[in-house]
Amino acid sequence: MKNRITEVLKKFSDRCDYLEVHIEETEESRVGFTGDRLSDIGRRVDFGGNVRALHRGAWGFASFNSIDRIDEFAGHAVNQARLVGTGRSELAEVEPVVADVALDVKHDPRDVSLADKVAMMRAYNEQVLGFHDEIITSSLLYFDRYRKFWFGNSEGAMVYQERVDIGGRVTPVASRGEGSQSYSASFGGSDDFGVARGLEKDVEKACRVALGKLDAPKVKAGEYTVVVDPRLGGVFIHEAFGHLSEGDNVYEDKNLQDVMVLGRKFGKPFLNVYDTGLDKGYRGYLVYDDEGVPTEKTYLIREGELVGRLHSRETAGKMGERPTGSARLIDYRHPPVPRMRNTVIDNGDATFDEMIADVDLGIYAISASGGQTNGEMFTFTAADAYMIRDGRIAEQVRDVMLSGNVFSTLDSIDAVGDDLACHDGGGGCGKAGQFPLPVTHGSPHVRIRNVVIGGE
Amino acid sequence: MKKIIEKALAKGVERAEVFFFENLRTDVDYEAGKLRSLADTEERGAALRVVKDGKLGFATTTKLDDVGGLVDNAIATAAEGEPVTFEFSSAADVPTPSITDERIETLSVDDMMKDSEQAIARVNDYESRINIGSGTARQRQHLGVATCRGFEGEFERTTYEFYVGGMLLDGTSMLHTGASFSGTTLDVDHGELTARAIEKFDKARKNVDIAPGRMTVVLTPRAVADIFLTLALGVNGLYVDERISPLAGRLGETILDERITIRDDGTRAGGFFSAAFDDEGVPMGETTVFENGVLRSYLTDRRTAAKLDHPLTGNGLKAKRLIQSKELGKVPSPETTSWVMEGGETPYEELLGAVGSGVLVDSIMGIIMANLAAGDFSGNLMYALKIEDGKTVGRVKDTMISGNVYELLRDNVVGLSKEVHRTGVLGGIGSHWYPYIVLKDVSIAAKS
Repeated sequence: MKNRITEVLKKFSDRCDYLEVHIEETEESRVGFTGDRLSDIGRRVDFGGNVRALHRGAWGFASFNSIDRIDEFAGHAVNQARLVGTGRSELAEVEPVVADVALDVKHDPRDVSLADKVAMMRAYNEQVLGFHDEIITSSLLYFDRYRKFWFGNSEGAMVYQERVDIGGRVTPVASRGEGSQSYSASFGGSDDFGVARGLEKDVEKACRVALGKLDAPKVKAGEYTVVVDPRLGGVFIHEAFGHLSEGDNVYEDKNLQDVMVLGRKFGKPFLNVYDTGLDKGYRGYLVYDDEGVPTEKTYLIREGELVGRLHSRETAGKMGERPTGSARLIDYRHPPVPRMRNTVIDNGDATFDEMIADVDLGIYAISASGGQTNGEMFTFTAADAYMIRDGRIAEQVRDVMLSGNVFSTLDSIDAVGDDLACHDGGGGCGKAGQFPLPVTHGSPHVRIRNVVIGGE
Repeated sequence: MKKIIEKALAKGVERAEVFFFENLRTDVDYEAGKLRSLADTEERGAALRVVKDGKLGFATTTKLDDVGGLVDNAIATAAEGEPVTFEFSSAADVPTPSITDERIETLSVDDMMKDSEQAIARVNDYESRINIGSGTARQRQHLGVATCRGFEGEFERTTYEFYVGGMLLDGTSMLHTGASFSGTTLDVDHGELTARAIEKFDKARKNVDIAPGRMTVVLTPRAVADIFLTLALGVNGLYVDERISPLAGRLGETILDERITIRDDGTRAGGFFSAAFDDEGVPMGETTVFENGVLRSYLTDRRTAAKLDHPLTGNGLKAKRLIQSKELGKVPSPETTSWVMEGGETPYEELLGAVGSGVLVDSIMGIIMANLAAGDFSGNLMYALKIEDGKTVGRVKDTMISGNVYELLRDNVVGLSKEVHRTGVLGGIGSHWYPYIVLKDVSIAAKS
């Protein structure tokens, strides 16, 4: 495959400013249960590639399954870039990497038979369906992917990487006939089939929470002090700040650059946020990104101030900043764009008890069933929540959707805990039509003032 | 396709079904008012379902020169699979007209660029501070289904997508809006869409405060599309079968206001998902889902139709849920096609004029995270305007809406507009035809 890439690069490189070839092969196994039915069992083979050409500031891109016709597609991409390019190509300089990244895993999911994977998920499913009469159905998913990536560019980079991605969830659904409630035990990782094993306690908890929500009242709409747990804190920082720090949201917009100027104060001095590809075992782990740039730990906020962003070579080049190894694609059908890896609020020094002690009326929001942002405003949903009354955790409530504004909410964080934990779910991050990208997030318990919550 | 079936049968499976798809697509994208990239996509792949020893297996591949590998993978999954409870399609007189528009097939990249450039120029004339984006995509698909029972159908489809919009920054306040189109025909008025995008910017230039509470809400057709994701799950045969849907076992009951009639129309001219047959070879057609508020039908694939003893509706699609693009790796499952809702008697302007105070809601952030299957929706108002004395007076931000569709659409409907407009879902692709809907006493939360 490398020879084939080298041939293409040789043949077309002198016709454009920059050329890259990406080829990828994925083997996926999947097991899903819906109620008592094995609703999804499948094997997927996906083999394809893309060629991306940059000429005078514009990109030509072609993705394909017919690898035997790669020259034709490369010619297309180059011609398109030449057709539209009128400006200047600006890619941040990097040392071209030549490397082979072999798989380094604790327990390769390919060493486990499909029968064993089905049996494992069936056991979780039986645990769920047998837990209580009011658990009427379930939704379970397990997947593993073994992926091979070949990447070469006209500057001499040639990187071969193997990656594993594992994920899934066990979701009990409880109902008494009108409207259902659910809660997921989710798992994920990049180097160990073991993350899918031994989840019985998590599954039991998911059943209890889902059942509890049947009795829980809907939260009353209003403005609250909210304490979020590490899982929700991770989703919060991903949505509230991570996306805005992706270079492609800023690099073409001079007005936004003035707003997102490095040094701008976003939070209190005890707020520190980073995004890293270095944490082995997590789904956001990377060795090289999809432009062949070594990954790193990138500080986004230090002591409350904006200090960095996530870049591809192009966004870094255009903004005169440093590439951060954050250019990622979900698969060969798409070009790489700046994305998050493992996004984390770093530890502070508050304890959970201190955080809730002086809250008269607030909400303790646990885990997330998702989040979304438009850059400025963001929203995310707590998978489970409890009222805080007079400094104590009180009754369970449901349908807690929180919203905020990046330019005020981060500064409303008035306590950061000392219990940082990172979590991988079975989902992923979506952006520009590219979903789901494996990402991780982490946070300690965090307290946020004046959060608007929708509800009755 | 036949070859794959033959190979599978030769390897000892009892039944086989192949889905094949090939896709040629061109995307033209503008960012910050400038041509950013031209992209070509060539995609092809096959999905195979087999029944071996009475059990169902499934595999997909984009490596079409390895049919043996595809068959082996499908057989390997069948060994662990579930007993099959339904039949694959049999030979029948399924008409298989192609859904193509010559205007899309002959559309050149220059034409595509011109459409985006004209739209960008008009938005730029309106306000040069808007960071403008635009995109145009044309696509030609070839889809086919074949089964061991003699079904064999293939058809061509063209699709076209267009978008213009952008972000206007004022201090730290970001206003994102735009207008888009997607369909199988080129029946789009770029000028009208651009004008609509500009009007949306214009009406939201000023931010205004709103006091939280229960108030009248006017949903635009786009907001209706987002909120109706709840109903789409409610009538989905899978959710009915699992009893997650509050509509399970309620066919024939009055569920919604009697002014509400909705059809799922898989053959609607120009509809983005319109096709001759679904991804299991079942003819697509028009299904009345709600008629004068009465639940008339669920939407089914072959499995749920068999399980629920319900007619086949031709909704067995390999769609990525909510995003609604074809995904080879998905097993066919009930999915909506184009929804068409009947309008009311009153012109929109008159309905709006009658609202003393309230909010006009066009897009809601985070709606897909709500408990949609239960009919609950909730989210942050991404584009919404405050209404005073029948007129919109400015943009409302940092505000949440929430409610339950089955309650609001039963008890709180004030009116439906006479006008019915085409819209996508979640601001993206898809084609549905909805009126404006006015609801009273909807919960709105904001900083007090």
